Amino acid sequence: MAVNADLAPWIAIAVAGAVTFGTLAPVIMARVPETKRVQQFLDSLSTSVIVAIVAGYLARGTLREAAALAAGALAMMLLRMPMLSMAVAMAVAAAWSGFQP
Amino acid sequence: MLTFDGFKAGMRRMAGVALFGVPFGIAFGAAAVEAGMSMAGIVAMSALVYAGAAQFAMLQLWHTPLPLLSIAFVVLAVNARHLIFGAALARLLNALPRRQRLLSAYLLSDANFADMQAARQSGSKDLGILVGGGFVMWLSWNATTALGAFIGGTEKDMARFGIDVAMAAFFVTVIAAPARRVSNLLPMGVAALVSVATLSLLPHGWNIIAGALAGGIAGGVISRDGRER
Repeated sequence: MAVNADLAPWIAIAVAGAVTFGTLAPVIMARVPETKRVQQFLDSLSTSVIVAIVAGYLARGTLREAAALAAGALAMMLLRMPMLSMAVAMAVAAAWSGFQP
Repeated sequence: MLTFDGFKAGMRRMAGVALFGVPFGIAFGAAAVEAGMSMAGIVAMSALVYAGAAQFAMLQLWHTPLPLLSIAFVVLAVNARHLIFGAALARLLNALPRRQRLLSAYLLSDANFADMQAARQSGSKDLGILVGGGFVMWLSWNATTALGAFIGGTEKDMARFGIDVAMAAFFVTVIAAPARRVSNLLPMGVAALVSVATLSLLPHGWNIIAGALAGGIAGGVISRDGRER
């Protein structure tokens, strides 16, 4: 599908904006009964989606990303300070890049 | 519930993360100029689409004539995880008036969703945290993509300072708390396994949905045994 060259970028941006915005999930969920099982599903879902993002990121990455995130996770487990843990992960990644340019 | 106090708290909570996002915005602006987008187009895209990964993916398809259908599909695929975010927040979102619901949906992104999860783990039900955090991220994303379009920058610079791992590192801090509970380990493990196993089988980004659903179902199944909760 192709359209007029001047207009096309704006249509593409509008289409992308509409697609991004058009999440119907909450509307659908309004019709699902609220049982303990559903609640547990949603609780697990919300953690799982972040786990799935990180797992996919690691699978596509190299040992550098794995080492950085492992260091960040360890820092978070020990210190429980998010910003500091992020800094630890970034420092490991930066150091790794420094030694292997 | 969505309060102004929550909004301010969300802005404070996400200000640091938004700072780490600055190089991403600059990189996107620079890459978009490289791909042949106009300044006005870049500004409009960041303001309207407001989804970093999807915008980067769009640039891969940014050549004349613009393949609108492919762009729509890629953006849907990359952003489809937002359906899961929406489902996870459904109970809170559906309690809001329509205008606030639309605002929450518009400002929803990975980072402020993750931060909202952290807030819920400490007992908060105030979606102001999500909206405030999203607003800070939105301001930063728009300012920095415009800046990037002016000055440019490279992916190599991001790797040199470890900035490329910042977002994933933030997600790790959010899943560290639920990972301490043994009952969460099975759903989380299932999610990770399925996400990785389907990475090469599904279109870009859909492995996240497969992993999330598998983890959610695993959690729902175990709940039969753990009824005392």
